[in-house]
Amino acid sequence: MSEILLTENLSMTYKIGKVDVHALRGVNLAVNPGEFVSIMGPSGCGKSTMLHILGGLLSPTAGRVIIDGEDLTRMSDAARTDVRRRKIGFVFQRFNLFPTLTAEGNLRLAEHIHSGGSRRSTIDNKTRHDILKLLRLENKMGHRPLEMSGGEQQRVAIARAVINRPAIILADEPTGNLDSENSDLVLNMLRELNREMNQTIVMITHNPEAAAVGTRIIEMRDGTIVRDSK
Amino acid sequence: MVGPELMDSLILSNLRQRPTRTLISVSGVALGVILVILNTGLVRGMLNDRVRREQGLGAEIQFTRKGSSVLSPSSIMSLDVRYGERLRQVEGVAMVSPVGRYVQTGQSGLGFEQVDGIDFPSYSAISGLKIVAGRVFENEREVIIDEIKARQSKLKPGSSIQVFGKALTVVGIYGPESGARIKMDLIGLQNYLVAENKCTFIMIKVTAPSRQEEVQQRINTELPGNIVLLTRDISTGFGRAIPGIDGFVKAVLVLSTIVSLLVILLAMYTTITERTREIGILKSLGASKGYIIGVIEKEAFAISLIGIGIGIIVAFTAGWLIEHFTSLQLEFHWTWVLTAIVIGLVAGAVGALYPAVRAANQDAVKAISYD
Repeated sequence: MSEILLTENLSMTYKIGKVDVHALRGVNLAVNPGEFVSIMGPSGCGKSTMLHILGGLLSPTAGRVIIDGEDLTRMSDAARTDVRRRKIGFVFQRFNLFPTLTAEGNLRLAEHIHSGGSRRSTIDNKTRHDILKLLRLENKMGHRPLEMSGGEQQRVAIARAVINRPAIILADEPTGNLDSENSDLVLNMLRELNREMNQTIVMITHNPEAAAVGTRIIEMRDGTIVRDSK
Repeated sequence: MVGPELMDSLILSNLRQRPTRTLISVSGVALGVILVILNTGLVRGMLNDRVRREQGLGAEIQFTRKGSSVLSPSSIMSLDVRYGERLRQVEGVAMVSPVGRYVQTGQSGLGFEQVDGIDFPSYSAISGLKIVAGRVFENEREVIIDEIKARQSKLKPGSSIQVFGKALTVVGIYGPESGARIKMDLIGLQNYLVAENKCTFIMIKVTAPSRQEEVQQRINTELPGNIVLLTRDISTGFGRAIPGIDGFVKAVLVLSTIVSLLVILLAMYTTITERTREIGILKSLGASKGYIIGVIEKEAFAISLIGIGIGIIVAFTAGWLIEHFTSLQLEFHWTWVLTAIVIGLVAGAVGALYPAVRAANQDAVKAISYD
């Protein structure tokens, strides 16, 4: 099976004043289609940096990142943006919905960007319906973020990430801002997305219970992978 | 369909979400539009009104001293009326009539208005001026006014009008309009201004209008060192009638563009800072730089359109009020309205460009983490 995500000797060094901070030190990771990978580790271990590099938001100092056959590290910023548009969905800890748009508007915006600004959405109605049903959002589409609970907002954010059927979803502490009830709900929905739609997910978390939802757990320390349950 | 409706919704919701910022931006564009339409309307209106009335004098030639102009707003009476006798002797001159001109602040306190001192018999013979109500003035405390002044200021024979800071009596209404809208006896004006035997210019009626240039040449030869102007030339281009008016109009255009541009730039710059996180979200969704610039430029375009609409409405309303309650004349022309629209749109687009490019170039990771 060919990997949907592959990193080779991924390194990232930040310069803070005259000090070099090594956030990633030669990370090698291969993720197959349909996997739900949880990346755990303490604060500062490099997991957020890795997620940003995997999503093309940051360029590594060295090494390669290949997403669905496309090498992000050999691309211009514009080309990486294009890969992100076509193949990657992000879910953030702070939901990051557009506060002035309804849930429907937030989803439509993602579709609009995914379609390259085209007048016609590339998402068929059945996919759309299935996703909304799975995330139990059918009755929430007319609500603005401030009119929804944290759990509902995060479900909208997940719907926005998955609506364009990306090759991979990158989730950055998706339950970090939720209470335990909503955390369970969101994690269950991520699991369902993974199982029922075969959606590949890479999720970073420092919560072992959240990490346990994944089909594979990776532990990071000091910029390297120290344990992989695969 | 997700395109235009979604963008409309995103842009309109942003405009609604920040009403103060939207109001300031819209006001900036509207101010530019108002400046252009009102100022050019005022310049055109005042000049064309005066040119039209100078043309209505009926004289082919106007004779005056160097250093003064029949169109300049000056009260200097430096020309001796006895020049009239010498002009009458020039071959081709049929009639002459000396005119003294006094310029005062408008009755409403805004703008200015002229008062002509005339020799009624010779003036009416040249211009065809006729009393349509009341009678002609008989002493220096009486004036006549034209029908437009009577209508605008709601005056009639027997009404009182301020000239030289004194209440003079309107004794007659005349038509058609020519020269100043208020007229009094030339000797009376000379007495008020302590300028015995002086006038501002002399109207000259020629025997053969087709040969007026020859008469002009003859006067120049016989009375050198004076200004001998063909009345028809007074109307050639409102930009040349008063020196510096072209520059004034250009300055208004540049100022309007700068005002609109700066307001949009500052408003959009502020909004970009406020919305750093949203720009980060757009980037995380895969929005290209062009897409982000497009979103911000469309928002600026919407602000410009609203500002232009409001600016046009306010300018025309203000124009109507100015004409109604002051002696100022405005003449709007579609080319200037179009210019104002173009200035509003260009200022909006250019003003938003720098903030838009800055937003598009923001670091995605920092933008998403922005509080």
